[in-house]
Amino acid sequence: MPIKDIIAAITGDQAPSWVSNILFSYRIPKAITALMAGAALSICGLQMQTLFKNPLADPFILGISSGAGLGVAIFIMGFSAFGISVSGSLLANIGIVTAAWLGASAITLLILLVSKKLQDNISLLIFGIMIGSVTGAIISLIQYFSSSTDLKVFVMWTMGSFSGLSTSQIWILFLLVFIGFALSIYNIKDLNALLLGEAYAKSLGVNLENTRKRILIATTLLAGSVTAFCGPIGFIGIAVPHIARMIFKNANHKILLPATALLGAALMIFADTVSQLPGQAQVLPINTVSALIGVPVIMYIILKSKIV
Amino acid sequence: MKETTKEREIVLKLNNVSLGYNKTIYSNINASASKGEIIAVIGANGTGKSTLLKSISGVLPYRNGEITVFGQNTKKQKPNQLAQRVSFVPTQSPRAKNFSLFDMLATGCYNRSNWIGNISNEDQILIGNTLQKVGLSSFEDRDISTLSDGEFQRAAIARSLVQNSQIILLDEPTAFLDIANKIIVIKLLQDIAHNQNKTIIFSTHDLLQAIKTCDKIWILGHSNFMEGTPNSLIEKGAFDKIFKDSSLKFDSTLLTFV
Repeated sequence: MPIKDIIAAITGDQAPSWVSNILFSYRIPKAITALMAGAALSICGLQMQTLFKNPLADPFILGISSGAGLGVAIFIMGFSAFGISVSGSLLANIGIVTAAWLGASAITLLILLVSKKLQDNISLLIFGIMIGSVTGAIISLIQYFSSSTDLKVFVMWTMGSFSGLSTSQIWILFLLVFIGFALSIYNIKDLNALLLGEAYAKSLGVNLENTRKRILIATTLLAGSVTAFCGPIGFIGIAVPHIARMIFKNANHKILLPATALLGAALMIFADTVSQLPGQAQVLPINTVSALIGVPVIMYIILKSKIV
Repeated sequence: MKETTKEREIVLKLNNVSLGYNKTIYSNINASASKGEIIAVIGANGTGKSTLLKSISGVLPYRNGEITVFGQNTKKQKPNQLAQRVSFVPTQSPRAKNFSLFDMLATGCYNRSNWIGNISNEDQILIGNTLQKVGLSSFEDRDISTLSDGEFQRAAIARSLVQNSQIILLDEPTAFLDIANKIIVIKLLQDIAHNQNKTIIFSTHDLLQAIKTCDKIWILGHSNFMEGTPNSLIEKGAFDKIFKDSSLKFDSTLLTFV
C-alpha cells in the first residue's frame, strides 16, 4: 500500500477503496487487538510475579492457557469423535472462543477452590503447574486420537493470531479486558503490600484470601479472554514486567503497572509488525515472534540475576 | 531489671492457647501483656516462639484456646481490624528492588490510605517524624534493598509505628545484627514501650539481654509455659526448664547457663 494513500484514507481524503478496505477491515482491527493483548498479558504477568514472588511467573503459570487449550481441543477434536465436524463451519470461530474461555475459567475456578485449603502461595503455584501438566497430557491424548484436519485447526489456534476478529468480537474483547484492567488497578494497593512478603502483608491488614481471588479473577478475565480470541501467546507476560522494572526502576505498582501495560502494548505491536514480514506476502505465527523477542529478554534477566 | 508495681491496662490475653495448624505443636499457653510493657519470648529452637507471635498477630491460625486483644477474640476480627491493634515484624522479609523506604512505610498506612494506596498529608508528616525517631531521617528515598540489616530492622519497626498498633510483635529482631545494631534496636524497642506506652513482644535467644531489658519474660519451656518478671523467674529457677537437657543449669549470679 502506498503511504500517501494510507494517510489519505486515515485523514478522510480520497483514497483507493482497496486501501481503506484493508486498513479499516484488517490492519487497524488487528493492531487494536495486538495492543489490548500486549497490555493485558503483561499486567497479568506483573501481578502473578508479585503475588507468587516468582520472577518467572506469567499469566499461564496457573494453567490458564492449558485450560483454554483443553477447551479448544475438546471443542475441535472431541466433537469430531462423535461424528460432528466443527472445522470450517460458520460457528467454528465463535465456538473456539467460547470453549477457550470456558476452559480457562474452569481452571481458575478449580484453583480458587483449592486456594482456600492452601496456606501459602508457593503451594498454590505448584498446584497450578501440576494442573497445567495434567491438562497438557489430556490435550496430547485428544490430539493422538483426532483426525489430521482437526489437528491442523487446533495447531493453528495454538500458534496465535490477531487477525480474523470481527468488530463485535473486538468489542467483546475490549469489554472483558477493560473490566480486567479496572480490577488490576484496584489491586495496586495490595500488590505493593505484597512486595515485602505474605506475613508482612497480612500484618498490615491485607485480607490475603480476597486479594488472591481478585488477582486470579483479573488474570482470568485478561489472559483468558486474550487467549480465547488470539490463542496462547507466550513469553510476553514474563518478559515485559522485567523490561518495565529495568527501564523505570520503580517497584511501586502505581508506576510499574501502567508502565508495564504501555510497554506490553508497544512490544506486541512491534511483534505483530515483524510477523507481517514487511514487503512479503507471508505472515508468521505471532507465537514464534513473541518467543524470539521474549526468550532473549528472560535469558538476559537470568544472566544479570536482576530477579524481581 | 525493672520491677513495676504500677497497675497497667491489660491489652492482650492468652487463655489455654494451643499452637499449630494440622497438629498441636505447643499447648496450654496462659499469658497477658499490658500497655507500656516490653516482653521477651524465650525458648529452645523449634518450640514455637515464632508460631506464637504469628498466631497472636493473625498471620497464622491457632488450634485451640482464646487470644483476646482489648477484650475481643482475634479470630472474630477481620484482618484490617486486627491490624489496627497488632502488627508483626518478621525476622527477614523479601526486599523488592527499587522500592523506596517512604513507599514501604506508606504501606504501613494500609488501613487509612485510599483505594489506590495514596496517603494523607498527616501520614506523610508522621512517616517523616517516625523515620527521625528510628534514626533514618535522611533515608526516605533510599531503595530498601540497599539498606543494611540493622537499618532495615529499624525501618520495619518504623512501619509498625506508622501502622500505629498498640501491640508490636517482633520475630527475632536482633538475629542477624552485629552487637552495636543489637543494642540500638533493643534500646529503641525499650524506648517505644516505656515512652510511647506501646506493648512490645519479641522473641530472642539472648537470655541475658532479655533479663536486663524486659519487664516480663514468656518462657516456652520444654514441658510447660511460664510467665513472669525476670527476677521472679530467676527465683523460681524457671530458666532451668527451658531445655530438655537437665544438666544445663542457669547460674543466677552469672546470668548464664553453666
